[in-house]
Formats: sequence, C-alpha cells, structure tokens
Amino acid sequence: MRRSSTRKTGSAVPVNPSSGSSDTYRSASSKAVSKEVERIDNLFYAYADASSGLIDPEGIESFCSDLEVDYTDVRILMLAWKMKAEKQGYFTLEEWRRGLKALHADTISKLKKSLSELEKEVARPTNFSDFYSYSFRYCLTEDKQKCIDIESACELLDLVLGFQFRPQVDKLVEYLKHQRDYKVINMDQWTSFLRFCNEINFPSLDNYDAELAWPLILDNFVEWIREKQS
Amino acid sequence: MSAQKKRTFKIEAFKHRVELDPKYAERTWKVLEHAIHEIYNHNASGLSFEELYRNAYNMVLHKYGEKLYSGLVTTMSGHLKEIAKSIEDSQGGLFLEELDRKWGDHNKALQMIRDILMYMDRTFVPSNHKTPVHELGLNLWRDNIIRSGKIQTRLLDTLLDLIHRERTGEVINRSLMRNITKMLMDLGSSVYQEDFEKPFLEVSASFYSGESQQLIECCDCGEYLRKAERRLTEETERVSHYLDVKSEVKITSVVEGEMIANHMQRLVHMENSGLVNILVDDRYEDLSRMYNLFRRVPDGLSTVRDVMTSHLRETGKQLVSDPERLKDPVDFVQHLLDEKDKYDKIISKAFNNDKSFQNALNSSFEYFINLNNRSPEFISLYVDDKLRKGLKGVSEEDVEVVLDKVMMLFRYLQEKDVFEKYYKQHLAKRLLSGKTASDDAERSMIVKLKTECGYQFTSKLEGMFTDMKTSVDTMQGFYASQYSETGDGPTVAVQVLTTGSWPTQPSAPCNLPAEILGICDKFRTYYLGTHTGRRLTWQTNMGTADIKATFGKGQKHELNVSTYQMCILMLFNSADQLTYREIEQGTDIPAPDLKRCLQSLACVKGKNVLRKEPMSKDIAEDDAFYFNDKFTSKFIKVKIGTVAAQKESEPEKQETRQRVEEDRKPQIEAAIVRIMKSRRVLDHNTIVTEVTSQLQSRFLPNPVVIKKRIESLIEREFLERDKNDRKLYRYLA
Repeated sequence: MRRSSTRKTGSAVPVNPSSGSSDTYRSASSKAVSKEVERIDNLFYAYADASSGLIDPEGIESFCSDLEVDYTDVRILMLAWKMKAEKQGYFTLEEWRRGLKALHADTISKLKKSLSELEKEVARPTNFSDFYSYSFRYCLTEDKQKCIDIESACELLDLVLGFQFRPQVDKLVEYLKHQRDYKVINMDQWTSFLRFCNEINFPSLDNYDAELAWPLILDNFVEWIREKQS
Repeated sequence: MSAQKKRTFKIEAFKHRVELDPKYAERTWKVLEHAIHEIYNHNASGLSFEELYRNAYNMVLHKYGEKLYSGLVTTMSGHLKEIAKSIEDSQGGLFLEELDRKWGDHNKALQMIRDILMYMDRTFVPSNHKTPVHELGLNLWRDNIIRSGKIQTRLLDTLLDLIHRERTGEVINRSLMRNITKMLMDLGSSVYQEDFEKPFLEVSASFYSGESQQLIECCDCGEYLRKAERRLTEETERVSHYLDVKSEVKITSVVEGEMIANHMQRLVHMENSGLVNILVDDRYEDLSRMYNLFRRVPDGLSTVRDVMTSHLRETGKQLVSDPERLKDPVDFVQHLLDEKDKYDKIISKAFNNDKSFQNALNSSFEYFINLNNRSPEFISLYVDDKLRKGLKGVSEEDVEVVLDKVMMLFRYLQEKDVFEKYYKQHLAKRLLSGKTASDDAERSMIVKLKTECGYQFTSKLEGMFTDMKTSVDTMQGFYASQYSETGDGPTVAVQVLTTGSWPTQPSAPCNLPAEILGICDKFRTYYLGTHTGRRLTWQTNMGTADIKATFGKGQKHELNVSTYQMCILMLFNSADQLTYREIEQGTDIPAPDLKRCLQSLACVKGKNVLRKEPMSKDIAEDDAFYFNDKFTSKFIKVKIGTVAAQKESEPEKQETRQRVEEDRKPQIEAAIVRIMKSRRVLDHNTIVTEVTSQLQSRFLPNPVVIKKRIESLIEREFLERDKNDRKLYRYLA
C-alpha cells in the first residue's frame, strides 16, 4: 500500500557491478521495470475518472492536450490500436498498460516522441490492414452494432486512408455523400475500400472488373466515376 | 504268250520347234489384213470366220503375234484416218450424224475383228502387256478421230451449240446427242470429262451467269425463282436424256451457283417482292419454292432464316411497343397469337417443318414478348377474357386448342412469376364474382400450368378452387343450422377464403348496414363454432349484393351491386339527400373506391339510381347525392358495374411490380444458399450463372440483385469472403 511512496522518492538501491552480475542486473532491470509500470499506472490515474476507474472522454481530452495532439488526430487512433482498446472514448488500465509498455513510454514526453515511431509501425502493410479493420470496429459503439453511418464512415476514411490515398478517398467520400442506396457501411464494404485503394489503378480504374466479387457499392462508385468522366 | 506289258500312253509335245516359214506368216497376215479391209468396207459377208480365226491362231501359235498385233494397229489406224477425213468433210449439220454412223460402223467392225483375233487377245496380249483388241480399237478411234485436230474442236463446238440452242428454246435431236455422249463415255470417262463435260460446265456457267444477270434486273423475286426452278428441272431432264448420269450433280450445282447463290442477298432483300413481302402475303408456293431452291446452296437456308428472324423481331417489337395496340390487352394478345399461327403455318406448309426455322421463330418470339414488361399481365388478361365469356359456345377441343396456344406464349415469358401474380388476381376476381364460364376450362388451364411449371406454381391456385367448393358446403351447413333463422331478413352467401391462397388485398372493412351486420355475425358465430382457432375478416372490397328498390312511380327493380355500393345505397333508406362527406363518414369506404362507386351509381346512363349535383362526371368532395326517384330502366334486374379485371393503372402496376421484386429476393437467396451449401466455395461469376439457371423457369434474375443478396448474406454471416482469394465466397455452416 505504501510501497509506491518510497519508490517515488527515487532512492535507488546502490548496485555493485562486480558481484553476482545476472542477479543484480535482473533485480535492477526488474526494479526498473516495476518502476516503469508504476509510472505508467500513475500516468493512468492522472487522467482516469476516480469513480469508474477508467479514462473517459474528458480524460482523453486532457491527455491529448498534454500530448499536444488533437483528440481527432489519427495518432490517437493508432494509440488506441496499440492498446487494443475496446471501447471508443475509454481506456482501461490494462489497455493503457499494454499500449504504453509496448511503446516503452512512461511519461508524456516519451509518449510524444514515440508517436512518430508508432506511425511508421502502423504504416507497415501487415500492420496497416489490421489497423484499418480495427478502426472500423472501434467505431461500433453500440452492442451488436454492425454498421456505421455514412457520415462517420467518411470521416473515418479520411482519417485513416487520407494520408496514403488522398485522391481515392476524396472521390469516394464525395460519392458516399451523394448516393442514396446505402445509409450505412458494413465491415465487408469497409474492408473492400482498402482493397480497392491498394489494387485498383486510380484514376484510370482500368483494372476494375465488376464481374468479380467487389461489393455492389464499389461497382456503383466506379460506374458513377466513369459516367462523370464521359 | 508273253505277258503284255502295261504301257502308259504318253502324249508328248513336239520337242522340236516347228518353224513357220516367214513367208507363210506374211501370207497369213495378208489374208487377215484383207479381211480387215473388207470388214471396214462392209464386205464382211464373204469372209469365213473359221478360216480367219485359224489364221490368226496360227500366227500367234508360231510366234508371229507381234506381227499380227502391229499389223492390226497399222491397218486399223489407216482406216480410221480415212474415216476421219470423211467426217471432216461432212457439211454442217451432217457432221454429227456422220460421226455417229461411222462410230457405229467402227464398233461393228471392232467386234468382228476382236472375234477373229480372240486367240491373240487371250494369249499374246496379256503376256506381252498389250492393250486388248477392243480397248485398242477404242483408243485408236479416240486418237485418230476424236482427238484429231479438225474434229476435236468441231465436235465440242457442235455439241455445245446444240445444247445452247435447246436452252434457248429450239428442239434438237436428242437421240443423236445421246449416242455421241455415250460414245465419249465408252471411250473412257476421262475423255467424256476432258473433251466434253468440263467445257460444257464452263459454258453453262457463263450462260447462266448471263441469264441470271438479265433476269434479276427485270423479274421480281417470285418470278425469278420460278424461272430458276424451271432451268434446274430442264438441266436435270437434259442429263437424263442425253448426258452421263454423273453430270447431273455437276450441272445442277452450276445452275444453283449462278442463279441462286450469286444472287441470294439481292433476291431475298428485293424491294416489294423479296422474302419479307412473300412472308407478309402468306404466299406458300413462293415460299416453298424459295426454301427448296435455297436449300441447295451453302448458307441458303441460313440467309432465309436470318431475314425471317429479323423481320419477325422487327414486327414483334413494333407490336409490343405500339401504344395503340397496348390499349386493349386482349386484342394485343390475340395479335400475338395470330402472328404465331401465321408463322407456324408458313413453317409447316412451305418450310418443311424445318426445326431450325421453328427455333428461330421461338427465339424471336421470346425476344420481343419480353421487351414489354406488361406482357405477363396482358396474357393473363387474355386468358381471363376467354375464361369469362369468350369460350361460350366453343367446343371442348377448341377450348383446349386456344389454351394450348396461350401456353405457347406463356413459355416465352421470362417473368413467369409476374404472370403468376396477375393470374391469381384475375382468377380470384373471376371466382368471387361467379364469372367463370366453364369450370372445366379453368381446371384445364391449371393442369397446363402445373405441367409447365411444377406443383409449386399452381398449389395456391388450386387452393382457391378448394375454398370455393368448401364454402358451398359451409353455406349448406349454415342454412341447415339454427343460426340461420332469418325470417324476412336478408340472406347471405359467404365465401370463406384461406388467406395464403388468395391475392392479398389489405383493406379495412367498411361499415356494413345493420341488417347485414346481423346475419354476418350469425354466420361468424356458426363458423367459429365449427372451426375453432380461426380468425374471420370480412373483405368488403369484394362481394356483391342484390337489393330490391322501389322508385318514384312505384317501379320496382332488383339492383345487383357491389358490397360498397350496397352500403352507400342503404344510407339512402334514411335520407333522400347526402353529401359526399356524409357518405364517406357513414360508410368508411376508402376514398378512391368511394369515388369509383359513386361514379358508377350516379354518372352512368341507364344505371343512375342516384342523382348528383353538380352533374359533372367527376366526384368532388362537395358534391351532393340524391335518391333518383325518376330512375327508369326497361330491365327489372339492373346490374351496376362489377368491375371486371382490367389492366392496372400506373400506381397499381408499380405496386405489383414492387411486390414481385420483393418476392424474388428470398427466392434468390434460397438459391444462393442451396448452391453454396453443396459447392462450399465458389467464385462470383459461377454463383451468378448457377442462380440464373436455377431460377430461369420463373424469372430472369438481375445480376446486380444477386450481388446485393450475396452481400446481405455475408452480413448475416451465411457466407464469407475467402481470406486468401477475395474473389471467392465461402459457405459458413
């Protein structure tokens, strides 16, 4: 119960390098690790809501302002991914620990620095598709919800794909807002958007074949573009 | 006595050669040579066959066969050269006769010579590989006469000239011709072919090429074909009379090529007389002729068939898009049937029931019938019309014939499920208004539909018939029971309809008059007494009523009206005048139906039991209605508009179509699931193809709709996309 306070004062146990090396290293590193965990936890409690024990949207907002990153920034989403956060707008202690440990960041300034590394990590193709799917699931706020509305989908597309595929995203968003067939987007369609950006030549669309198993919404999208072009 | 030694006789051949004196050989030859001369000079009677034969025999025996043979060749050739000269010298027309005669002579001579030299022919000739005498004679004739410079050309020219003359109408000596051509054949088929047939075919080709050019300019299609046919017959006849039988095929193909194949397109498309005109005019003879002629040339029939198909499609397309025609559905379908009849007749009478033409007819009909998406509705309306009244007085076989013809059209429909929907609606109206003319005809139609489409298609229709029957029994039971004491009150005949079988017409019941309510409730009690657990809802939008009405001067009429109309009229028992709104409130009939009913009660001459102010044709919300005590009719029983099945108005049509589309979705999904369950993993195109083929007996599914259904199934986790190859779908058990 009171262990933390003694640790807080930062009095380090003097280490004798010559004696029983692995032992002492281990204890030192384990002590360092446990210090890290402590700092991570403390950071958590700094933002968490006392009654719920979670960081709620308010907490996230102040966290973001400390980070000097806007809370709508994609890097926050990336952070959530790293944490494997389940509920949008909330972080649990476990998720917090998971994320910050993986980033080796136990202070705000270390976190700030780690964000650019995180961006690179997410950009790797294997991670990116996972991140992409995650971002959709993250938006399913209600229990048993399977789709997200068009507006939100457009925002999410912009956030997540905008950097890599600006022209496709702009056209797609324009179309989604214009069309009347679909009021929501489901996971299958969402997944196909990334495939579309990766596989189909843009803006020529010459290798798009509507006879293949592309979802209907993309068939209509392509047709809409082609009609506008002619 | 010494024992007789048995000695066998031996006959030994001469061991020494008996040399014939060469002079003797020469003498013998001279005898024979002389004989040959005599034979050629028609002096054979003085000769002794036996002696000549023996002479020839001896020559061969004594090894003078060569001398004999070469002597024969020389002598015969000599004679033939003389003969050639005499033939050459013959004038004009006598040339052939001379040739023929000399040929006859030669043959006779050759026969005799051969007989005389038979021993040589049998022994010397084969062992020395010489040409046998008869053949030799023919070859010598060929080389010296036929192939002699002067004769060869003249012979060919003469023959060709004669044939040409015959073609242009002159009469020629056919037996002479036959002899000559036979001669050529006898000389060897290569002689016949080289020296006559080949040039004959070439000349014929250019003759017919010229003639066909000429004819095509001045004749119409029918005339031209008649002439072509005549020429063909002529040539066949010519062959049979004086040419070799093997020439028939060759010359006919020349004529076919020149006269038909080269002008096919022009003939078929000839303005005012081409194939289209002949088809339109039903000229069976001309059509039959064209079929038989064109059949002989490559692509002939396919040309005819293509023109017929495109014409059919064109006229069909016009028919189904003509707004005038479409105003009357029954008339429209009758036109389709007539068109089908017309072409069936043409194919059977003129085109030899050719299957490929039948197929072309079918595919054309299928094409244009489906161009108009109201075809299913219209065909159902046609059947409705026929089953209502159109078949009265028609015999049973004729009924079958008409229905079978309609089934032909039905088969062409792609959207059979749309037809089913309309047929159900129309059948319901027929049954409920008692308007069906023949129960047997109705049943027959159901059987035909069942045979065509399976049990599922007709099970609900049959359910409707069952309901009608059951209702009759129910009514009997009702009137026999205690519930039916009515005294003076109204009587009722109820038809109880099973909800699933009848077309859904959601409607809230209107307010029934009190008298009616009474007996209705009695019925309800009776029925629910015998059938617990069921729910009855009065369908006031259907049904009829017979009302007795007394008018101003006391004339009584019996009015036959719909249930709605009855509700409206009964209101006038307590008021002589009512406004539209009052009527609306009193009856609770939905506005569009109310307006229609009021129109039929107030605005139709001869049926206006109500009077409307203002007298306009349309019903406005401020109109007032009066009991028309001045109503007159010469009939005691007056029927006021039970609505027959009509073609739907636009909004109704949209609604029906929407319902059809909705019904199709689960069918498509069921097909997808069935297919995926058995195949487990499939790519998109294959699914589309399989679904289409599974459903084609009912309708043609739209690939876009199929894709939508697949996506919906993915969302509901019946299917998933394959993780590695996203072109594939996978069934999720």
